[in-house]
Amino acid sequence: MTTTDNNKKNAVFSFLVRTLFAAKMAWHGVLTHPLRSALTILGVAIGVTSVVSLMGIGEGARQAVVAQFKSLGTNVIAIHANDVSVEFDPEEAEELVERVSGVEMGTPVINTKAVMRWRRARGTINLVGVNNEFPDVRDHPVIAGHFFTQWHVMQRSPVAVLGYNVGHGLMGGRSPVGHTFTLNGETFRIVGVLAPKGAANAEGIDDKILIPYTTALKIAGKKKVEQIWLKANSTQEADLAVVQLGRIYKRKLGLDQTAPTPGGTQGGEGEAGPGATAEVMEKIAAAPSPRPAPEKSPIPGGEDLITITNLNQLVKEADQANRVMTLLLGGIAAVSLLVGGLGIMNIMLVSVTERTVEIGVRRAVGAKQIDLLIQFLMEALYVSALGAIAGTAGGIWGLNVFSHYGFHTALSLQSIKIAVMVALGSGLLFGIYPAMIASSVPPIEALRRQ
Amino acid sequence: MPLIELVNISRTYRLNQIRVEALRDVNLTIEEGDFVSIMGPSGSGKSTLLNIIGCLDRPSAGTYTIVGNRVEKMNDNQLADIRNQLIGFVFQSFHLLPNLDAAANVELPLIYRGLGGKERRRRAIHALEAVGLGERVHHLPSQLSGGEQQRVAIARAIAGEPRVILADEPTGALDSKSGENIMAIFTKLNKDMGITIIQVTHEEHIAQYGHRICRLRDGQILQIDETQNGRAVT
Ligand SMILES: Nc1ncnc2c1ncn2[C@@H]1O[C@H](COP(=O)(O)OP(=O)(O)OP(=O)(O)O)[C@@H](O)[C@H]1O
Ligand SMILES: [Mg+2]
Repeated sequence: MTTTDNNKKNAVFSFLVRTLFAAKMAWHGVLTHPLRSALTILGVAIGVTSVVSLMGIGEGARQAVVAQFKSLGTNVIAIHANDVSVEFDPEEAEELVERVSGVEMGTPVINTKAVMRWRRARGTINLVGVNNEFPDVRDHPVIAGHFFTQWHVMQRSPVAVLGYNVGHGLMGGRSPVGHTFTLNGETFRIVGVLAPKGAANAEGIDDKILIPYTTALKIAGKKKVEQIWLKANSTQEADLAVVQLGRIYKRKLGLDQTAPTPGGTQGGEGEAGPGATAEVMEKIAAAPSPRPAPEKSPIPGGEDLITITNLNQLVKEADQANRVMTLLLGGIAAVSLLVGGLGIMNIMLVSVTERTVEIGVRRAVGAKQIDLLIQFLMEALYVSALGAIAGTAGGIWGLNVFSHYGFHTALSLQSIKIAVMVALGSGLLFGIYPAMIASSVPPIEALRRQ
Repeated sequence: MPLIELVNISRTYRLNQIRVEALRDVNLTIEEGDFVSIMGPSGSGKSTLLNIIGCLDRPSAGTYTIVGNRVEKMNDNQLADIRNQLIGFVFQSFHLLPNLDAAANVELPLIYRGLGGKERRRRAIHALEAVGLGERVHHLPSQLSGGEQQRVAIARAIAGEPRVILADEPTGALDSKSGENIMAIFTKLNKDMGITIIQVTHEEHIAQYGHRICRLRDGQILQIDETQNGRAVT
């Protein structure tokens, strides 16, 4: 009984000794031809580098695009008039908040320009007219002062909240709140400065000035606004609200329009749902990454007079499209990993042929087939593992270089995991055949060759 | 029970359509402690016979028993164990692994036996001392003379304390002085440790170190002569 126990223990110990030795001999094998091994490792490393860096670039682009869309606020629905004839009364924003369930906030939006004077400097500036609910609708707080109030809006007050860059530029980083400047000659008081959103984000709001929409209408000489932004309470409610809004505007266009197209009021319900529109996207996305082609039928038959955009949906579509893109990039890069694997196989086959005598000697002194299999497989694995390590380092370095040149990059752990696993997998896959050859050479054959 | 018993052993090689009968109906019994030299013209089957005795090759027909083990019935792993535990090989061209030092080369069979590092090293150094290379433990094969390399190979063969040493032209690549040195070591191992030795050689004076000379021709044993040494022992 104890002897069988001992035998088992001995067998385990023996296996350990032999495997450790195989690992050592495999390492010797790698070191025997340093240049050859280094080149093979390089082959694998290039594959891993390209997987890690391409996927990192893809992931970076995805995050950048998503960040841009997200900077517009969550659960925001944008209603956009594509023609002056269908522009909105400012009061419509409030009406919609009342009518559409799940929506509790909203603001009319009017974009205009004015000549700005600050001390001795003057220039044209982009203005955005909104109401006091803007910070909550767009999830965009002020970092200095406060936002203008409902009172300001009602009074058409000459007050302004500056985009971050504008606010930062005026007084060299000191808060300009309380100071005044002029727009088209009229004096405005600065009541607040918005938090920064980053370049290209949130329609470039960092470089604009926000004023009450009432004031903006006066400057623009208009009575109507071209956009309404609504804020839904949740993602689901945003989806439902878009459907409801589609119905509302379909009816409205049919009634109000002077010359509606015959099919102006028809179209399936809910088609306004998940569609994102080209116009909105072009404004908000200066992203360098590919974008999904959005469906363009928010108000079916209405000749795209009004587009209703669920920004959540935009984020989701952009996210998915970019995920697919990232995987595609990774897949293409993985092909080069396969080539690296072929390099391993090539070198291992050469190595096995060169070392037939060694194989024969080992067999003569008692090595079993499994011993040689393990040894040669480990050699292939060392090469692929070193390639994976070098390639990961190379990939991280490559991403640094790319981001230095203005690419959005994001080192994703997933890409490293994939690359390392594929590298080791290819080492195993392409190492097993040479290792099997090594282990199956008959001992006399191996010793005969000299 | 004899150490080695070959009964009607044949070995046929097939090259394309041609059959080469390297061994034909060989019968040979070797007792423990014997020292046998195998001689014969080139191509007579000496190496083939030695490979079969060493379990590196299997006979095409006949039965071969070594220390009670019927070789035809054993699988590859079992043969590896037999080689590892019962047999030590010495080759004409030494066959040391070039990137391992002398001690590591000698340890090789002990590794495949699964011995731990300390025990291996102890036995390896002991074996190297036995062949007079106690000072060359850390030399690489390339840093040793031919005679010294062959002594390392012998140390490797005896490190596992085998019952029999098989040597295929062990002096074939050496000058006569080194050759005699090797024979002196074989004689000592045979006498002092009782290790059975079977060697193949082309040189009559080397063959004379054995107790018996087995003469082959065309894959058959022509005759077995007893030498001066053999008579002295028996
Ligand atoms: N793997 C093989 N395939 C085919 N024929 C072989 C093979 N090995 C040996 N032979 C043949 O078997 C015969 C015996 O070969 P073996 O190597 O045993 O001769 P040997 O007596 O050792 O000769 P030498 O003194 O030259 O070493 C030879 O005719 C040889 O050509
Ligand atoms: Mg021969």
